[in-house]
Amino acid sequence: MAGQSAGKIQILLFAGLREQAGWAEKQWAVAADPGAAVTPRGLWLHLQLPGELDQGVRVAINQQFADPDTPLQPGDELAFLPPISGG
Amino acid sequence: MSSLFYPRSAEAEAKTMQLRIDLHDDCFEPLHVLERWQAELRHGGIADSAAESLFIGRVRDTTTDGTPLEALELEYYPGMTEQQLERLALNCCNHHGVSHCLVQHRIGRVLPGEAIVLVAIGADRRGPAQRCCQELLEALKHDAPFWKREWRADGTGTWLTGNTPL
Repeated sequence: MAGQSAGKIQILLFAGLREQAGWAEKQWAVAADPGAAVTPRGLWLHLQLPGELDQGVRVAINQQFADPDTPLQPGDELAFLPPISGG
Repeated sequence: MSSLFYPRSAEAEAKTMQLRIDLHDDCFEPLHVLERWQAELRHGGIADSAAESLFIGRVRDTTTDGTPLEALELEYYPGMTEQQLERLALNCCNHHGVSHCLVQHRIGRVLPGEAIVLVAIGADRRGPAQRCCQELLEALKHDAPFWKREWRADGTGTWLTGNTPL
């Protein structure tokens, strides 16, 4: 993920979570917070996303399920996934 | 329609397995798709399985609260959904030692009665075929990023936050 997203984390929301939050996609500049590791949980709290991260909402980093406390790297694609209902 | 297709020997994990996964943004007829896939395999010299198990899921005509359903909307995560379906299918098929796996899933607006999912598994024995089919279906219901929204005739819609009971 080079180019415009380098140095930033791309954050994606889906389905009901996207509609509750009122946005689908944001870029988060990593350099804005150099002193601490940026994690999905930290961004979830900072962005004041609705609901509880551990109550059905799952995290994906670069399109793979991940732990909410995984440190994020510049260029990562982070997605918050509301409860899945496939098939 | 997006597609993942592993012909024989294309992947180390799929060396002895035929795997095909498609996402359909329009109505598909499950048995026709299955028949076409099997004909392609036969044409490529790959014999039919001795045992086959398949599941077809169709959209109900009522919502979870019992009102008439106008349509079901299926959202997905482009890229991750396809990758996750592939991971789930390979894991499940390798675990059960089956030889053929076809997964077809709808996306977008799906009408009552239309097929939403097809899982077809071929194996040498009925046990692995049936167990793999059920296990893979449950895996994709819970671990493949799809989201359903039920639309009613009055124009209101509700995102579902879970699956129907087994």
